[in-house]
Order: sequence, then structure tokens, then C-alpha cells
Amino acid sequence: MTEIELKNVSYVYSLDTPFMKTALDDVSLTIHGGVITGLMGHTGSGKSTLVQLLNGLNKPTSGQVFVGGEDIWADPKQVRKFAFKVGLVFQYPEYQLFEETVRKDIAFGPTNMELDESEIKRRVEESAEFCGIAPSLLEKSPFDLSGGQKRRVAIAGVMAMEPEVLVLDEPAAGLDPRGREEILGGIRDYQRRRGSSVVIVSHSMEDMARYSDEIIVMSHAKVYMQGTTAEIFERADELCAVGLSVPQITELMNTLRDRGLDVRRGIYTVDDAKAELLRLISAKRGAK
Amino acid sequence: MIKDITLGQYFPGNTVIHRLDPRAKIILTIMYIVVIFFAKNLWSFMLVVASALALVLISKISYKTLLKSMKPLIFVLAFTTFFNIFWTEGDVLLVSIWKIRIYLEGIVYAIMMIIRITALLIGTTIILTYTTSPIMLTDGLEQLLAPLRKIKLPVHEFSMMMTIALRFIPTLIEETDKIMSAQKARGADFTTGSLAKRAKALVPILIPLFISAFRRADELATAMECRCYHGGEGRTRMSILHCSFKDAAALLVMLLFGAGLIALNQLPCAISL
Repeated sequence: MTEIELKNVSYVYSLDTPFMKTALDDVSLTIHGGVITGLMGHTGSGKSTLVQLLNGLNKPTSGQVFVGGEDIWADPKQVRKFAFKVGLVFQYPEYQLFEETVRKDIAFGPTNMELDESEIKRRVEESAEFCGIAPSLLEKSPFDLSGGQKRRVAIAGVMAMEPEVLVLDEPAAGLDPRGREEILGGIRDYQRRRGSSVVIVSHSMEDMARYSDEIIVMSHAKVYMQGTTAEIFERADELCAVGLSVPQITELMNTLRDRGLDVRRGIYTVDDAKAELLRLISAKRGAK
Repeated sequence: MIKDITLGQYFPGNTVIHRLDPRAKIILTIMYIVVIFFAKNLWSFMLVVASALALVLISKISYKTLLKSMKPLIFVLAFTTFFNIFWTEGDVLLVSIWKIRIYLEGIVYAIMMIIRITALLIGTTIILTYTTSPIMLTDGLEQLLAPLRKIKLPVHEFSMMMTIALRFIPTLIEETDKIMSAQKARGADFTTGSLAKRAKALVPILIPLFISAFRRADELATAMECRCYHGGEGRTRMSILHCSFKDAAALLVMLLFGAGLIALNQLPCAISL
């Protein structure tokens, strides 16, 4: 269970030009191992910049990044190995596909790791299964697939590297509800089964509520809040202050409480809400 | 990062130079280039230096960006300096070792050439590319070339192509950057290995890049057709360029500058070409 730790990390784009922009400002945080961490924040709050620092793709302007206790920039020549430890799936990853067949494309990462053929085959098939890619699709050209299928192939391509930490930047953006559920569900299955760490960047409060164990909220290049999912969604006012919100079901429960109903705080999934309402109803009946 | 390329980049601002009419700026740039080559003696070269400094000061472009944009020129400068110093013959011999003879004239030539090339770069980048948005630039060019329509040259189509190409350079650079990062995240290695291996490593970048470029072109064409674009015939513009007093003034200043140079060339001077 690999932990990622950021110590006083800053990142500045186009340093020393008129276009200079601070994307991360003295950020320190810990991403815990063995859980799904949700990374939320308004557009331009520094989320995407942050995830590109986790695997050594970009070097922080100042500060240090530790993966499993190791400073990844301690030896710049060795930084490439952290790309395999921390697998990063970019936004709209379907535009990075290039191979002739789906199988070859998913195998691109493992092949770069110089694994032997049987191991590559096992990983390709396993990650394809996690992402819901039917075995019959493996020999097809990735360019013949639908948008949602391409997305899954791209995610499988990173999963196949079996990274200790899997980081996904908006993996469900632009998909229909069913597509979202399939992709995010597949990621959760993968996490639960492998016990690895996962970071998901998302705008959707509903997705965050359903799939993440812990949440980090970014605002204006800084960490604004960090805590378990329940802790974060209890603080609705603070979330609204940075242009975010709470899941609709939480909003509903808050409204009910404002109207005088005795529902508990920190409910953020429909299932919890259902259980809570049923409890209230049966309590009422009991009182009668 | 490749995003940081500055040559030919526009720096928004609100100085007098920024606000000049693009047509005037194109003409001014051409005049400046020609006039710089009139300079013949020390006095006129001093005027050239002064004019370049004035341009830098008026445009408020930081000297750091300027120095950065001059980096690619270092080779050219070094090359001309080298040839001027060692291959110019003159009257005043300074150094003579074996077959190498360095004359004072050679050094003077070299310095003057450096001034010329630097002023040339400052003039063109500051007057044109740094202070004029690409759209304004092609707009200005289209109108300056408009008379060529008489001889059936597709001036509008040409400038539209240029506008689109310029518009998509940053997009493509960003796209390349993104795809490169994505493939690096999957362990692609572009920097080590033999030449053949490195060339092969480009395939995972080029294929997605071409696909997305074609997709973009297709989408853009559809979007333009949806908005009834059908070429230059009868097309009006949203912002019509107006020549104003300051454009005329700028042209006058440039003429005076040229006249001043020619006048200074007539002054007696020990150091001259």
C-alpha cells in the first residue's frame, strides 16, 4: 500500500514570461495507501497539474514528492521508474491510442516495462476484464471502437502496468450515466481486489460520493479541504464557497433537516438516505 | 517545455505600437529593414542602435523575452562575426600570426553586422509579431494584398488558410505535449537508445497527433459551413481597420529616421564601411 506525500510543492507554468501562472502554491498533502482518494476542485484549481507531478512527468518548481517514502526526484535519471509505480490516465485518454489492435495498445505499457510475453498476456487480459472489454474486441483496431470503448482501452492500458498507485484524471468525463458507472465501477473493483491506491479527479459530486473513501478539495492552487468522504460532504457551506456543491441526495437530506426532520448528518449516498428515511418512518410508526 | 517557444509569439499589451494599424505596421517593418541597410558610418549606426532601443522601450517587451528570442540567432551572429574578422582586409593591421591577419576594419565590420542583424530582429519582432495578434496580422496582409485580386489571385483564401494555420499552431503544440506526456506515463522513452529506436518511439505520438489533426480539420470545416462560410465573395468584417493620425505619424517618424540616417551618412567620420 503505497502512500504519496507532497512536501511544500509549488508549480509555475511559463516561468519568467508574461504568461507566468502559479498552478500550485506551497501544497503539502498525503494521499493514503489502499483507498480511493477523490480529488475535487473548480476548473483551474490545480488538480490536473497536481496529478502530473505524482509520477514524475513534471518536476515541481520547488518542493518534494515522495512515493512510498522515496523522493522521486532524488536521482533524475531514475525518475522514469516512477511512471510504472504511479500509473497516470490522462483526461480524454482515448486520443492517445495508436496501435493496430486493442491487445497491442494495452500491451504498450507492460512492453515498455520489458516484461516477458506470458506475463504481458496475463496483464492485458486481466485489465481488459476489469475495464469491461470483451475478449472478442482485443483483436480489433482501436479506431473502430466507440468513444466509451476507446476510453476503457486507454484505462486498461495503464492498469496493465499494475501500478502501485493508479491516478485517473476525469475518467468518466463526457460519458453517459451507464458508461460512467461501468468505468468507475470497474476501477473500484480493481482497487478492492488489488488493494492498491487509486486517485480519481472528478467534478461530479455524485461520483465522488459513491466511489471515493477520502477526498481532497483544491481551490486556487492550494489544498482547501481534506478528509473522509463523509467529513467533506458534511461541510456543505465551505464546498459551496469554492464553487462546488454536495451530492443532490445530501442537499435533500439537509433540506429535510432544516424543515425539522430528525435525519442524521453526513449522508451522501442514496442507499444511506433510504436506510435513514426508513428508520425514521418505522420510528414514527413505533411511536404511534 | 515546447510551449515556451517565443519566436513569433504575440504578447498582449496596450502601447502605441500595439495600437497601430496592422497595415501600417507591415509597411513600417519593411521600411525599417530597408533603412537599416542604408547605415554606413559610425553616426548612422548609433542612430540605428538608438532606434532599436527606443522600440524596446516603447513596446514594453521585457528584455528577458527579447534575449530568449535572440538565442536561435547566436549561431548566425557568431558565423558572420567569424568571417568578418578573419576574412576582411584593410589598412590597419592589428594582429598577424602565421597566415592569420586581423585588421581593424574586420572588427568594425563585424560589430556593425551584429548591430544590423540585431536591429533587424528587434524591428521585425517588436513592430510585427510581438505586438500584433496573428489575426490582425493576416487581416492587414489580406487588405494590403487586395489589389492582387485583380489578377485573380485568391487573396482571401490565402489569408484564411494562414489565419487557420496560425490559430492552430498553439493547439497542435499543446496536443503534442499532451500526447507525449500520456505516452511517457505509459513508459515510452524518447530520449535514449539508437537513432532508429528513437525514430520508432515517435510513432505513438505521430499517429494520435495526425488523427486528431484530421478530426479537428473536419470539425472546423463543418462548423464553418454551418455558419454559411463560402469564401471571400461578399464577405464583410466585424472589425474594420481604420488608418488614423498615429499611423500617419508613425510613417512620418520612419521617413524622418531614414532621412536622418542618410544625412548622418554624409557626415565625415573615421569609421565607416
